[in-house]
Amino acid sequence: MKQHFREWSVAGALGAMLVALAIFAPRFYEAQPLLSRLTDDAPTLIIACGMASIIICRQIDISVGSMFAVCGVCSALLLEHHWPIAAVIPISIALGAVLGAFNGWLVAGLGLPSIVVTLATMVTWKEALRWMRQGVLVNVGSAQWFGLSQIHGQLTIIATSLVILVISALAMRHLAMGRFVYAVGADAEAARLAGLRPRLVTFLMFVRLGALTGLAAILNAVQAATLQPNPDSGLELKVIAAVVVGGVAISGGRGNLWGVFCGLLLLACITPALVYLGIPPYWGKAIQGAIILLAVVADGVRNRKTRT
Amino acid sequence: MKRSLSLLLALGLAFGACSKSDNNAPASSSAGAAPAAGKKITIAMLPKSKGNAYFISCSDGAKKAADELGVDLLFDGPTQTDPGMQNQIVEGWIAKGVDAIAVAAENKDALSTALRKAQAQGIKVISYDADVLPDARTFFVNQATPEGIANALTDEAAKLMNNEGEFAIITASLTAANQNEWIKYIKQRLAKYPNLKLVADPLPSNDKQDEAQQQATTIMSAHPDLKLIMAICTPGVPGAAEAVKQAGKVGKVHVIGLGLPNENKDYVHQGVTDAVILWDTGKLGYLTIEAADALVKGTLKPGDKEFKVGDTVYKIDGDNILLGEPTVFDKSNIDKYNF
Amino acid sequence: MAASNSKSTGWKAVLRSHEFILFAVLVAEWVLFYALGTHRNARGMTVGFGSLDAQYNILRHSVEIGLLALVMTPVILTGGIDLSVGSVLGFSAIVFGKLWQDAHWPIAAAALAALVTGAAAGGLNAFLITWLRLPPLIVTLGTYSLFRGFAEALTRGADIFTGFPASFTFIGQERILGVPAQLPIFALVAVAVWLLVHRTTFGRSFRAIGFAPEGTRYAGIPVERRVALAYILSGLVSALAGLIYTARLNQATADAGTGYELAAITAVVLGGTSIFGGIGTVHGTLLGVAAVAVLSEGLFYADQPRELGGMLTGVLLIVALGASVVPKVLSKWRSSRQTAPSTPQPPAST
Repeated sequence: MKQHFREWSVAGALGAMLVALAIFAPRFYEAQPLLSRLTDDAPTLIIACGMASIIICRQIDISVGSMFAVCGVCSALLLEHHWPIAAVIPISIALGAVLGAFNGWLVAGLGLPSIVVTLATMVTWKEALRWMRQGVLVNVGSAQWFGLSQIHGQLTIIATSLVILVISALAMRHLAMGRFVYAVGADAEAARLAGLRPRLVTFLMFVRLGALTGLAAILNAVQAATLQPNPDSGLELKVIAAVVVGGVAISGGRGNLWGVFCGLLLLACITPALVYLGIPPYWGKAIQGAIILLAVVADGVRNRKTRT
Repeated sequence: MKRSLSLLLALGLAFGACSKSDNNAPASSSAGAAPAAGKKITIAMLPKSKGNAYFISCSDGAKKAADELGVDLLFDGPTQTDPGMQNQIVEGWIAKGVDAIAVAAENKDALSTALRKAQAQGIKVISYDADVLPDARTFFVNQATPEGIANALTDEAAKLMNNEGEFAIITASLTAANQNEWIKYIKQRLAKYPNLKLVADPLPSNDKQDEAQQQATTIMSAHPDLKLIMAICTPGVPGAAEAVKQAGKVGKVHVIGLGLPNENKDYVHQGVTDAVILWDTGKLGYLTIEAADALVKGTLKPGDKEFKVGDTVYKIDGDNILLGEPTVFDKSNIDKYNF
Repeated sequence: MAASNSKSTGWKAVLRSHEFILFAVLVAEWVLFYALGTHRNARGMTVGFGSLDAQYNILRHSVEIGLLALVMTPVILTGGIDLSVGSVLGFSAIVFGKLWQDAHWPIAAAALAALVTGAAAGGLNAFLITWLRLPPLIVTLGTYSLFRGFAEALTRGADIFTGFPASFTFIGQERILGVPAQLPIFALVAVAVWLLVHRTTFGRSFRAIGFAPEGTRYAGIPVERRVALAYILSGLVSALAGLIYTARLNQATADAGTGYELAAITAVVLGGTSIFGGIGTVHGTLLGVAAVAVLSEGLFYADQPRELGGMLTGVLLIVALGASVVPKVLSKWRSSRQTAPSTPQPPAST
């Protein structure tokens, strides 16, 4: 319990929030809107699974929002031209993987700092997409919900995200590659001396994040009849905040996905909670910032105590 | 040597990009060519943001006018709504030496600052869609006053709700100036309908369709008696409509808003969205360029009571050139329009 | 990069330095855009990129981001980062506007309050980063949301503060002795930061801290205090940038400065400062600010689409990063091809 204090405290905060909502705003738990919200958050969870590994191995990727938009628009365009969904999904994943590989090559191959590389790719893809698309909506039409009924589509998307979560969590624990990520994050030089290949591990994590982003993008694109092409500035903040609040240390080497899951839900609850509780929406950003700081301060206080 | 290689690469990229002919700034004077001595008039048009379908449809009409008049049209704007960027673009146009500037203001006061400088340099200034301060421009091409828009929305809402019930507003971002003005006038208009209740603070969608969808879903759930959602930004209308559809509340919760016909045709035909209110954006852009050109040539002057374009005569009310009334697009007429 | 080889002194080193190459790129950009974007109008006056107006515009428009980049440099030199600078700009602009417009404070007092707010915001960052030893990236990510949230809460998102007296907006809009009025302020801050970082032992410790924090601590330098000061300075200057922004636009809104932090970081990194800390110069940052400003405004005068500026900035950033790394990679590749795998190499004597 002590070892996973962070994860338990986030889970606790989430639990407290959910209980408070049950008391003060029980309508929060109305089935259909709740399902809608979970479906909307599912793509973010998928990306967070990838981002957690990136941060654990001491890198960061702030271009996920732009990759998400590019993959989303490309998949939606294919769907608009009546390509079969079975073909579009792997294409979206592959496109994301390629974009991620580009980041990974610059970071792992050339040794460039990930924050700057992904800053550059974020700006480049974002502006390129804007230039290409000029704000015109893409019509997904009959491919909405994969052609299934709404409820089946929503459950499919939520189930997919949970499956990815479970597989990722297990892989990080039990697969050798999963453990390598922790090793590289804790001390890359030691890992190299121990025979691991930190640069390969890092590269693969960027590719994985890109692929997961591509998957998330198509899961998002089918949620409405039309897709807006403007890059979502704010997705990277959402994902990174969820990962960090969930206990993954930015200094690398620790954290797990259960904390990330709780962190994501906690932060995702803020906006609807404000509406249900009748709190004006302009408090949203301040609350989000406060939660991030509290989460990190909790880390710091604990560190100070254990240090002496 | 390797450093110079990368330097050359950077330069080559810059060179290559710049020499590519650009089809997004239509009919602009080609860079580097010796300009004729003041023969072709250059009119610069500023939208609130560049990649915005609403303003792109305005620019289509503007391009048509520019072609007919034989003027150069520069269409440029911030790529995302940015409070300071509009000023920078206007100041750049002053330094470029354009003949006229037409703006849709994101921030009225801020932009007026730059426009006054343009006027001081002899550049003609008009505003369209979203006005600036009156002393910063000669005319405002007015598709509808903010009060008129707010009234149209509120009246339509009241009609659909039978003059009583709860409704909610979905806005763009909390800081969007146009929307905030409309909200102000909507609240004023509500005095006329004492049984109509605005059930929460306007919910921000940050101009994102899926955020609008989420907000709509949540507000319907938090207020089960909600009868109508009013989306006052273009991405908000399809977003709210999708939310109503997914909640299975078509017919129980009405959706109206300000939106482009093309983006809403399907929802209107499915009966999800009752009506979208807008105006002919192409005509707005067309009239704007015509007025700017006439100002430069001197055929349009302050104090004129009307402005003739081809066969149409537009009334001028004070310093507002009136486009006409906002149009309500619903099942009966939405298919006639393509923008 | 700069100081590692024996040729670290003399004019050859200057020519090979990142800053000089960036300077050359800047000059090349300038010449290119001058050629592409300058014309004569009907009255025979120079218009476009080459006109004095345009050049002044480039300077005026980059002052706010320039200030943020200047003060971001010492922060990054210590191995940290400050993502909250844009939000502090907005927050202090709102405090300024609200005190002047709603509480009717005199302009000078309101401006002072804004500066204090900025310093206090920096102080919060400093406290969390140096006292609680929290990672700067996450702390400033949190304060990025928090301060923007304060600005939105104070204005309920919607309030606009405007109508400032001409004596104030003068700073942002008019010229003083022929140059735009905010330039002397910017120049003053630039010189002050340069002197601080490059000529005082205080400032030189920033690079030491970024390079080897533990070593610096053992050398007796009060690391925490120095780093704290860097963040407080960052907040203070961000507030100053907020005042200039408000003067330039004659308006303060809650979204002022959105996205400026990334532009500042771009300029700093472009200028040769390593994001890991320990390496970098203030003049490099200034060149970085200039390079990006000339690029985006130059494209405007050359009638190129706005989005191209963003894309090229991203490319430029990668090229700038890559330029310093490519030589290393190539030499490593070359040496690995030359070494026969079976011949043991004697250890390099130190």
